[in-house]
Amino acid sequence: MQTTKSFRDFSLVIALVVICAFFAIASPQFLSARNLSLLTTELSITATLAMGMLLVILPGNIDLSAGSGVGLLGGIASVLVFEHNWPAPLAMGAASVTGIFIWFCMGNLIVRQKIPAFIITLGGLLIFKGLFWLVIHNSTIPIVQGGRANLYSVLTTFYLPPLAGYTLATLIVIALVLEKLRARKARQAYGFGVEDGEVLFLKLFLAAQLIFLFVIVTNKFRGIPLSAGILGVIAFAVYVLTAHTPFGRYLYAIGGNEEAAVISGVPVEKVVVGSFTIMGAIVAITGFMQTSYSGTSTTTVGDLMELDAIAACVIGGVSLKGGRGTVLGVLFGALIMACLLNGMTLLAVSPEFKFIARGAVLSLAVWMDVRLAR
Amino acid sequence: MKPVVLQAENITKQFPGVVALKDVSFDLRAAEIHGLCGENGAGKSTLIKLISGIYPYGSYEGDFFVHGQLAKFRSLAAAQRAGIAVIYQELALVNDMTVGENIFLGSEPRTPQGLIDWHKVYHEARVLLQKFNVEIDPSEPVAKLGMGQKQLIEIVKALSKNSNMLVLDEPTAALGEHEVLTLLDILRDLRNRGIASIYVSHKLDELFAVCDRITVLRDGGSVAAFNTEQATKAQIIKYMVGRELGELFPRRRSKPGAAALEVEGLSVTDGDFGQRVLTDISFSLHVGEVMGIGGLMGAGRTELLMHLFGAWGTRLSGSVRLNGRELRAQKPEEIIRRGMVLVSEDRRRYGLILDKTVGFNLSLSSLAKLTKNRLIDEGLEFQKNNHFFQSLRVKAPTLEAPVAKLSGGTQQKVVLGKALMTEPLVIFLDEPTRGIDVGAKLEIYEIVNQLTDAGKAVLLVSSELPELIGMSDRILVLHEGRIAGEFDRDEATQEILLAAAMGQAHVMLT
Repeated sequence: MQTTKSFRDFSLVIALVVICAFFAIASPQFLSARNLSLLTTELSITATLAMGMLLVILPGNIDLSAGSGVGLLGGIASVLVFEHNWPAPLAMGAASVTGIFIWFCMGNLIVRQKIPAFIITLGGLLIFKGLFWLVIHNSTIPIVQGGRANLYSVLTTFYLPPLAGYTLATLIVIALVLEKLRARKARQAYGFGVEDGEVLFLKLFLAAQLIFLFVIVTNKFRGIPLSAGILGVIAFAVYVLTAHTPFGRYLYAIGGNEEAAVISGVPVEKVVVGSFTIMGAIVAITGFMQTSYSGTSTTTVGDLMELDAIAACVIGGVSLKGGRGTVLGVLFGALIMACLLNGMTLLAVSPEFKFIARGAVLSLAVWMDVRLAR
Repeated sequence: MKPVVLQAENITKQFPGVVALKDVSFDLRAAEIHGLCGENGAGKSTLIKLISGIYPYGSYEGDFFVHGQLAKFRSLAAAQRAGIAVIYQELALVNDMTVGENIFLGSEPRTPQGLIDWHKVYHEARVLLQKFNVEIDPSEPVAKLGMGQKQLIEIVKALSKNSNMLVLDEPTAALGEHEVLTLLDILRDLRNRGIASIYVSHKLDELFAVCDRITVLRDGGSVAAFNTEQATKAQIIKYMVGRELGELFPRRRSKPGAAALEVEGLSVTDGDFGQRVLTDISFSLHVGEVMGIGGLMGAGRTELLMHLFGAWGTRLSGSVRLNGRELRAQKPEEIIRRGMVLVSEDRRRYGLILDKTVGFNLSLSSLAKLTKNRLIDEGLEFQKNNHFFQSLRVKAPTLEAPVAKLSGGTQQKVVLGKALMTEPLVIFLDEPTRGIDVGAKLEIYEIVNQLTDAGKAVLLVSSELPELIGMSDRILVLHEGRIAGEFDRDEATQEILLAAAMGQAHVMLT
């Protein structure tokens, strides 16, 4: 079991390096600061949605409606800002509440009426798409009034100043080191095995280097994109939720064996509804970022994003049967998807082949998932 | 004497670690109904699966002969071709199809063009039904029929394939009284037409009413065959039990205290079909007491525990009081908070999250009590886990070992530890020693003693009569969802309990 796990982790890193190396050779721009900054923003949007998808898949469900939801909730905010002159924060708040409510209802339909999540969210995919087009009357709605930037538009155009970036990175590294040392000490006190001190140092050293490398590269363009900060906050929250709360344990328990979870006193219905409700909030946030990134609400915003999010989860080692998967794995999976898409765009690959490549990567990942689950 | 149509000679069937049948011989004659009875686990089902080809030729020792010729069934279909048809407890009919469609499913008459000849289907179905005196319209959808009628359709379907040997596995388990009489009449009629039947049941009244001979199986061996006319019920019961009481049961009696769980007039239906499963169950379980629940398979023992735990069935009437207060909670999560917990008979299905660690499973039911600022307090969790890990002597390398790789006994201790960590007052143990080795069994008995010493109450379901008698202070016996008797451990013997479990409490055992 341990060997499989490390092989999986390792294979992800290898795949990432191979993909990056290929695009770096094929297109020198791939590693330019400007492109890496763009890549970061694209990654942040996909990975944020994938964080929510992780919470839904862990107890063994799926959300096919997320992509349509991204368009719809972004569209609601756009219309409120552009056509009804609402201040951006208020418009986004209203759209978020709508998202939370819709996903709360879908979660309830799934647990109380015992309709499979696949069916409910497949219905959602079509219904939200239709509602989205109704809301924006099949047209293109800008996200700002009279060209003035607002909170909505800066989501993907604001960058942290260089100094702030360095300070943040330093703080994160310090927090990471302290937390790792604390956890190590605690494990020793409980008599659990701990990894070799040198390995831990090496890991922390590597992580710190990557964090600073990321800051240096993004600072060479404009600074750390705000969207990366949003992803950071959400990924951290989902990590705490999955790894350190009863709610998170219950997600894994339900996905691992729902009947045993019920008998063990796990409040299965509340937990599943909870995971969908959080998904609603995350779909809203992703919707704002994605709409902001494309600049306007148009009929294609959010298309197929649910599949990218699911792919990121599966590539990152999340089992579609539920019960298995981590935040770090999903981040890796999202990074692989984002690199593929960004690299293919740079190489001017035609849309036909982009679709085919995405599908092939997803199938490959599922195949690996099935093989390793045996 | 009538000719022998099916003969089993010295059949031995082994599964890894268990001998299910040893050296069993059995014969079935033409135009007879041959009863087969025995306790849970005596080997009835295994014998049927061998006769019907589910366990293929080569997987057992010994020989079967059909009409005097050596039979080598490699599949169910092969046994069917030899004229053997099995009617299972779980009926194999397609509910959405009509009676006629079901009878000819897989062997539909065809028109010259290769299409199904529907006229012939319904015509022949009608002829068959009339021939066997079954008054059912062949165009009726099966879903509209009662259990008894479905059973008759199954039999007609089997006979339409020219079977001359019928195997009926607990055919009346789900039938009402009237339906049972109809079925028995039809079986007698079939006997007059020369068809031989094996009738598997633990209902002695039916066996005596319809069978020509009765064979008793015990612990995988055939112990006796009777001509029904010369046998008595007491004799049969005596032959069915007889497991040694040799094992050590270290039950220490503790003084019963106040009532912990009081059940009054409980009647329950299964949620899906509205069929009554438990009727008018009343008992009270006291602090410091182990109450055993006995009964045969399907008597409603597991259903009783699962229902009290909020995990099964719809309550028609009755009340439950826990620790003196009315228990209105509906879900296991609430009932665990109120101080009642269940250790299921099927630990892989209802007990464990198999791909997780020992620690994950141990603390799963108690996480709400192990938090600080809504986060899991890992120090506290470790202390609790470690306490049960050591006090139950869980034989795993560490708390972080995956449970899937542990032995059955060790897994059972993990499930038990998970239940005990919730600090319950009442503990339900459903077959707690099934499939685990003797050493682990004794440890579990010792844990039960410690629990009652510590002022907890235990409800113990077990199919092993010696265990039930050895570990309980009082024993409640269920028969067809009703209480068939309550016995103090000092007055309980295997014969008495089995007689009650078979609805024969009035039979004089001497």
